[in-house]
Amino acid sequence: MNNNKRYFLFLMTLSLFSCTKLDESFRSDLAESNNNDIKASQLLLGAYNSIAGPFQGNADLWALQTLSTDEGIPPTRAGDWDDNGAWRAVSSKTWNADLAQVRGQFEQLLATQFSASNVLQYNPSAQEAAEARFIRALSMYWTVDGYDQVPYREDLQDYKLLPITLKGMEAVDFIISELTAIMNDLPATGPAYTASKNAAKALLMKIYLNKGVYANRATPTFAAEDMNKVVALADEIVASGRYSLSSNYFDNFSPDNHLKSTENILTFLNDPAANRGGNVRGFAFMVQHYNQNPSGWNGFATLSDFYDKFEATDQRRGVAYSYPGGPANPGKRVNVGFMLGQQYDLVTDAPLKARNPADKPLVFTRDVKLVETDPATLELTGIRPNKYAYDYGTPGDQKNNDFAVFRLADVLLMKAEALLRTSNAAAGLTLVNSIRQKRGAADLATLTLDNLLDERGRELYWEGYRRQDQIRFGKYLLAYQNKPAAPAHTLIFPIPSSQIAVNPNLTQNPGY
Amino acid sequence: MKQKLTPILMGLLAVCLFCVQPVFAQNKTVSGKVTDGKDGSAVAGASVTIKGTKQGTQTNAMGEFTISAPASATTLVISSVGFGTKEVSITEGAMDVVLAAAANDLNEVVVVGYGTARKRDLVGATASVAAKDFNKGTYTSPDQLIQGKAAGVLVINNTGQPGGSTTIRIRGSSSIRSGNQPLFVVDGIPLSGGLARPGGSGGEFGNDGGNPLNYMNPNDIASIEILKDASATAIYGSRGANGVILITTKRGKSGAAQVDASASAGFSQVAKVLEVLNADEYRKALKDYGLTSGDFGKSVDAFDEITQAGLIQNYNVAVGGGTEDARYRISTGYLDQKGVVKTSELKKLSVNLNSNFKFLPSKKLGLDLNVMVTQTNERIAPISAFVGFTGNLISQALQWNPTRELYKPGTDSPFVERGSTTINPVAQLRYYKDLAVVNTILASISPSYKITNDLEYRFLYSVNRQVGTRKGQINRLLNAQDIENRGVAFLNNQEQTNTQITNTINYNKKIGSDLNLNAVIGHEWLVFDSKGNGLFGRDFTNLGLNYYDYLGTTSQASRGVYSFASPTQELQSFFARAILNYKDKYLVTGTFRADGSTRFGENNKYGYFPSVGVAWNVSREGFLENNDFVKNVKVRASWGKTGNQEFPSGASLNRLTIGEYNAGISAPLINRATWGNPDLKWESSATLNLGLDFTIFDERLSGSVDYFNKKTSDVLYEQNLIQPAPPGRIWFNLEGFVINKGVEISLLAAVVRNKAVNWNIGGNVSFLQNDVSGLAGFYETGALRGQGFSGVNGQRVINGQPLNVWYLRRFEGIDKGTGQSVYADGGSKLYYSGSPNPKMLLGLSTDVSYKKFAATVNFNGNFGQYIYNNTAASVLGIGNLGNRNIAKGLVGTSIQESLSNAPAPSTRNLEKGNYVKMTNASLSYRVGNIGKSFRNVNISLTGQNLLVITNYTGFDPEVNTDGGVNGIPSLGIEYIPYPSARTFTLGVNFSL
Repeated sequence: MNNNKRYFLFLMTLSLFSCTKLDESFRSDLAESNNNDIKASQLLLGAYNSIAGPFQGNADLWALQTLSTDEGIPPTRAGDWDDNGAWRAVSSKTWNADLAQVRGQFEQLLATQFSASNVLQYNPSAQEAAEARFIRALSMYWTVDGYDQVPYREDLQDYKLLPITLKGMEAVDFIISELTAIMNDLPATGPAYTASKNAAKALLMKIYLNKGVYANRATPTFAAEDMNKVVALADEIVASGRYSLSSNYFDNFSPDNHLKSTENILTFLNDPAANRGGNVRGFAFMVQHYNQNPSGWNGFATLSDFYDKFEATDQRRGVAYSYPGGPANPGKRVNVGFMLGQQYDLVTDAPLKARNPADKPLVFTRDVKLVETDPATLELTGIRPNKYAYDYGTPGDQKNNDFAVFRLADVLLMKAEALLRTSNAAAGLTLVNSIRQKRGAADLATLTLDNLLDERGRELYWEGYRRQDQIRFGKYLLAYQNKPAAPAHTLIFPIPSSQIAVNPNLTQNPGY
Repeated sequence: MKQKLTPILMGLLAVCLFCVQPVFAQNKTVSGKVTDGKDGSAVAGASVTIKGTKQGTQTNAMGEFTISAPASATTLVISSVGFGTKEVSITEGAMDVVLAAAANDLNEVVVVGYGTARKRDLVGATASVAAKDFNKGTYTSPDQLIQGKAAGVLVINNTGQPGGSTTIRIRGSSSIRSGNQPLFVVDGIPLSGGLARPGGSGGEFGNDGGNPLNYMNPNDIASIEILKDASATAIYGSRGANGVILITTKRGKSGAAQVDASASAGFSQVAKVLEVLNADEYRKALKDYGLTSGDFGKSVDAFDEITQAGLIQNYNVAVGGGTEDARYRISTGYLDQKGVVKTSELKKLSVNLNSNFKFLPSKKLGLDLNVMVTQTNERIAPISAFVGFTGNLISQALQWNPTRELYKPGTDSPFVERGSTTINPVAQLRYYKDLAVVNTILASISPSYKITNDLEYRFLYSVNRQVGTRKGQINRLLNAQDIENRGVAFLNNQEQTNTQITNTINYNKKIGSDLNLNAVIGHEWLVFDSKGNGLFGRDFTNLGLNYYDYLGTTSQASRGVYSFASPTQELQSFFARAILNYKDKYLVTGTFRADGSTRFGENNKYGYFPSVGVAWNVSREGFLENNDFVKNVKVRASWGKTGNQEFPSGASLNRLTIGEYNAGISAPLINRATWGNPDLKWESSATLNLGLDFTIFDERLSGSVDYFNKKTSDVLYEQNLIQPAPPGRIWFNLEGFVINKGVEISLLAAVVRNKAVNWNIGGNVSFLQNDVSGLAGFYETGALRGQGFSGVNGQRVINGQPLNVWYLRRFEGIDKGTGQSVYADGGSKLYYSGSPNPKMLLGLSTDVSYKKFAATVNFNGNFGQYIYNNTAASVLGIGNLGNRNIAKGLVGTSIQESLSNAPAPSTRNLEKGNYVKMTNASLSYRVGNIGKSFRNVNISLTGQNLLVITNYTGFDPEVNTDGGVNGIPSLGIEYIPYPSARTFTLGVNFSL
């Protein structure tokens, strides 16, 4: 038995020897404990990338802001774009709290808020902190604009703590106070893709201009005090002397727009060499036909009523745009703006054919329906807009065109609107006509709310502001070509059901 | 082939010569031969002991034995796995012992976790499949051997690619997000379930992950035990909840060296071709629809062009022998299986060494040494489920316009239309190359020491190391997006090293005359490590070389580089089990395991998993004893808790990921990836099992009936974070339950049992029910794919419905006037539309022998599940007409479907998946001995997947294309899969 005891002891020793504390560590990622090695600048770029996402490509924020308006339509083309009816719901404002686009927009904006707040945890410099807070304010502004509720989190460490919910004007006031607080720390100069004083002022203009909407979406009223702030901020931006209207409208969106554009105040940087960017090529892919170059997804279109708002001389309607790395385009075919009629190979000028039926010429037509059912034309219907000249010179998914967020033309139009709303139509008209002259359009004789909304459409089409503009002008719910009238609750999106299920501090918006 | 094998064979023979030692006779020598009563074939490896002593031996491959016995010995006890135990009187001269295949042999010793137990002592729900009952034919991994062989076990071959992955579910799916595959344990080594075969990068390369058990040679497996209830699996604690499959490899048997060899060759062909229009039908359809374009004037069969009769060769040689104290078995196998899709192939070379030693005069010190070395070489077909709208090889072939030439006129070069999005499947095959090599070593050393006659200590150290390389390229000549005029290639590596240290003490004691105790306690420490790296790039010119051999010349912007090391992963466990047997009437088994894992959150480092099982051997009671009709009746009951910890390591910690380098800040971006959950723990399943085993009709009918109820709580899920939050999700133990309950019945009947004819029928049937309750909200999965299906998830996980319930628009037919689909509620409403989980599983086997002929047929079937035919839904829709091909069933219908009818996701393509398959059938003829050298020659003809009875219109209702969303697995989707094969092989076995 003595022997046995010895063996047993030996075993116990062996067991103890192999005991482990079971501590876990990453080997290719970082844990919080690596805090000392992390700089705020590294996280700040992540926040910039995060905010750039939802505005580009065909999904989420861009889709909801554009395709639910008189500016765009996502037709179901037999085998294409059925997608379980998601696009039809966007187009007709029949969305519900489960819709992927409604959820995607909400989640991406709030993920950006988190990402920006997180920069503040890592000892940022004053400017880094200001840039992060600007990105956060921009994401919160779009959140309140779409959902009227902004979940906001102070403590980023404990996932169990519920975020507070800032409702309507509460959120607006918070965003204004944030922008005011950071103004001094933001740079006055620098590239358009970095948050600057002028970018913060442009965002403040948007907020003051829409403040009446956030107070009452169905019947907004506009306080003179807010309008005066819009005018004053526009004047400050102009007075900085950094911007002038570009002589070629499409220079603002070209692959080299960071060099060429003279009017971009804030952009989202797309630069494959710097490993930065979003899906800007989606703007070409979502409209182009399969047989065009680049071969697209043959998707969205604009409506002929909208197209007809332009006069033929207006360069914004479409031109043969020549740019570095662009196609030879010997036939001088329209390659930016609106594509309508026969389409051509932009290198050889050979007319293109449709894919199905393959013997038909590729001719984009004016008329388009939400559900296309005629096999002979279902690939061909609809006028196709694209402002972002395709960057053929850069291989891969990421392209060089920076995404334009705030432009001088928008600032001037906002100022004109504020003047109009404070009974100074004449001054507003001068501003509007200064833009129209630059774009090759005839002067307007008078300035009214209706033709100003049209002008905003002509200048800013497919830039993501149409829903907001239509709501502010009280036109969002009306019936348009191919668009039914919509009930008032659609002025605000539903809170996604996935978040209602987990966050008891959120209440579903009325009507959903 | 012959040249390759000869040196190996010579090597093996040389090794044998060293090991063979003569057995010296002492008192009197008893010799004889043991044969199978069923067909007269030799029973190899039967245990032969002299009654009343510990002396014993085993029969060799010819069934022969020689044993020295004391002069006083009168009786031999002879037993073998799958046969009964027989006592025979010792007679002069060569004895002839005939063993009857036992319907249910209760003295059989079976492998249980961390030891062995007599089958009669078992109280849990287990199933054992011996080598002789495995599915017949060419199989690449052991899980395929038991398809349809055990009640409650579902085995689905996910794809027809040789070496492709399988889905295994023991008693249904109990986890939403975590893995549902059972734990595999090979000779006491629990596997990680991982496979060091890297994926492809830079293009649309084959996406099937491969089967992690491919490195095992089915020919080396002696038996497979399936542990189903908690009493059996709780000893595996946090990894036991999905059931455990124990694989025992063949051991050497003492005696003269014995060579067993087998060779087989055959071919496979596509089991079922999906019907599309041929050229004439296509032209007619164009005419019927008034289409003037789309006829190119030729007549081709694209699917035929990409498929072939794939040749299969399989060779195995095993040498075994040794003395009672030093036994060995060395085996080697070579498999070359060409797939039914051209170019695809699996080659496997494996070598396995098993040796068992006993040392010291007392023979108390033992040593087991096992080494398994395998290389698999795969050439993978361009078939991925995750492809864009240009599709994969299968959809390209199905869609190819049958009137359009595939080759440039007068050449064998594929026709490629530049700038077009239609890809020629012949070009896809020609311009694509995808190779994977995985080298595996599974080695273990296990010394043991008998401290007393009842108490044994055993140590086990094992290493499972895999190194995988994958390289691939797509030629710039292919007109695919980002490939045309550029080309792409990658080279990826992965390695995986798992080590194990296990200490166990076994105590096996008869206490008094009536109580038997079999107990084990132990400690185990497992360490898992996985690393990988890879690179890819674009922009090649064609120089006649393989792109992946000169990746350094690619354009800088197109290059991608990665490397990774998995988070640290360790599992430390303490476990114990006691099996008590009182008078062979009352049986109690208790097990306990404590598992600690690096994965678990800081606040839940250790999980505890108890189980208890009881059984009452009714037939041992006086009123049934010595009853010839009722040979054995045992009722069983068990309850226990098991766990599932298949969530990724690192999920309990806050994680930041490192982004790409940015020149502006001279540093990489850093992103907060997700929150960790410090409370994270295993998923816990409480299982109640009630069972009945019986053997009646003079041992002619035996079987089991089991009822189980498995309630899974703390369900693991990667939950949406409360926004604002990092972009990821958080691993969470949900409050809901997943309940699986069911009944399993298995029967084995000896229908005819006489000298000339033996006929057995075995079958099993299981009824399964699956429900989810207590979840907050619902979760989507079941990604349906194809044009017009972007972002469409067809399945939900929601309270009151089975896991992965289908949630779709309800199709009500085609409108006569418009030719458009009509949906309930105008298509604005989705309906719960059935479950992809089978409600009933069926397995059926029968074997008949008549003199020297023997035939075996195995069937398996699943019933009650719905399968989404995504191939028909989005690849072959009517809208293709005039351009691409369509499904045959769409023309000649009473209502003409409009060409513009959107192929939308709906119940239109949700089909009943019921099927019965003839898994395999084999006919063999026992030639016997040829000359002096070739003994026990047996030839056989085997067919696999010979017959499928189903109404399902796709390729094969046995399919599982990955449609997981956010990591929630899907089930029951078919989307342009690698087609399944029907295989015929002719084989020969013999011994030397």
